[in-house]
Amino acid sequence: MEVAKTDDVNGEHRARIMAWVGSEVLPHEADVRAWLRRTLAPEDAEDVIQEAYCQIAGLADVDHIQSARAYLFTTARSVVLMRLRRARIVRIETVSEIDNLDVVGEDPSPERVAAGRRELARVRRLIDGLPDRCRRIFELRKIEGLSQREVAERMGVAEYIVENDVGKGLKLILKAIAEGEGKAERAITRMEKDERARDSTSDR
Amino acid sequence: MNERETAQAIADRAAEWVARVDRAAGDAVVQAKLEAWLGDDVRRRGAYFRAQAAWAMLDRASVLRAGQGYEPEEAPERSARLTRRRMLWGGGAMAAGVAISITGFDLLSSSDQRIETALGEIRRVPLHDGSFAAVNTETTLDVTLKPKVRRVALARGEAWFQVAKDRARPFIVESGDVRVRAVGTAFAVRRTENGVDVQVTEGVVEVWRTGDEANARRVAAGARTFVGNAAAPVLAPAVVSASAEIDRALSWRSGQLVFDGDTVAEAAAEFNRYNQIKIEIADPTLGQEKMIGRFRTNEPDAFVRAAATLLDAHAEARADRIILSRH
Repeated sequence: MEVAKTDDVNGEHRARIMAWVGSEVLPHEADVRAWLRRTLAPEDAEDVIQEAYCQIAGLADVDHIQSARAYLFTTARSVVLMRLRRARIVRIETVSEIDNLDVVGEDPSPERVAAGRRELARVRRLIDGLPDRCRRIFELRKIEGLSQREVAERMGVAEYIVENDVGKGLKLILKAIAEGEGKAERAITRMEKDERARDSTSDR
Repeated sequence: MNERETAQAIADRAAEWVARVDRAAGDAVVQAKLEAWLGDDVRRRGAYFRAQAAWAMLDRASVLRAGQGYEPEEAPERSARLTRRRMLWGGGAMAAGVAISITGFDLLSSSDQRIETALGEIRRVPLHDGSFAAVNTETTLDVTLKPKVRRVALARGEAWFQVAKDRARPFIVESGDVRVRAVGTAFAVRRTENGVDVQVTEGVVEVWRTGDEANARRVAAGARTFVGNAAAPVLAPAVVSASAEIDRALSWRSGQLVFDGDTVAEAAAEFNRYNQIKIEIADPTLGQEKMIGRFRTNEPDAFVRAAATLLDAHAEARADRIILSRH
């Protein structure tokens, strides 16, 4: 029983970190991805993001982290550096890019105001974007709080269908998170504009 | 070796695992199978954690349960299609930025021009015949326009010429005993300690040594040839695989240096062509490292900083040089 109790404590702790990642980190993932893609091939950027989450999963505590956004950028940066050092050929431009981190990783404060409301709206949009049966299952599971078995009973379908749809819906939601909600694209456009302004001495 | 599992495939499997664990919470067999799938794979572990976090985030929706108000905040935004801001080796990207301004051109007489650039200076100069020259660091050019011929003497340095078409007046660049002739075309000539390098970006030029015009070699767009100082005849030009390679070599025209698999030592030597502050590589093994990257000609410090970060080396700035060394 002693072991089980420790597990519970750990489970609760892990759940807290997970909730933090869900509400604080995931919303910035698309920006980090856009930033990584400035210098990495898309598939390399994906690898970096997965490795970054693996590092975050290993955190003992998140209370000391002031900005989840900056933390995600910094973690991705260290993964890129690790990979570059392992690579045979050194891609120096990437390092120059990631030296710009301070600028890119800043918290866009106005956007984070009313974060709770925004997050709720986001969750609603993500669920609403699912195909019909999927959406119904997610509503019953996440809004009504039913278990998968109860959802199956309520809808009169086999339990494995519910499990399949949960998997399918979550894949779609993860993709939507990866693509961001127009925010990343705007940020990139903004950065390009700044850069053009800097380069305006060009005579060509 | 097996084909590498894609990040997308891993992300999809991770979502399926979350669904399975959610259905069979606490089932030791499912848990064991999950652990077996995760193994020591950092990508799988990261993807699974991410999927779990997204799944947990959806719990936020529980406040939407009957009786709790919900007002949509804004219309769903269109999904972002992320355009890569720039491709690393995209052709047109070279035109990106120029840090050096032009200061006009010097006139000797109405038809003769002497063009001289200082260390680090890159100049774009229109010639009086309608041609155009991009003149690289530490270069001296004398342009003489005669009724029958246009002559450009390259005493030192490097220049790229966009030649105005004029069948009656061939355009000849003279560098030491090497001659390069074009009618209407674009090419670069660089004079080094060891010989003369010719790179053609458009059309065709002919290259020969003085007194050996019968053995002139034709060099076409996308090719380059090097004529050494030894009095040997001009050899057949080396055809460069793609014009991208030449674009890269000529990226100085837009104030940039582009490296692709060059060693750190070679890159440092390139920077040293342009800057008073010289890069010194204290450890030869550091110089052997290969690299890819794009920089401005006048930012050796940015290059050294990047190289130091990547190679886990140490950069030390002195008054007249920057030293890259092992810790």
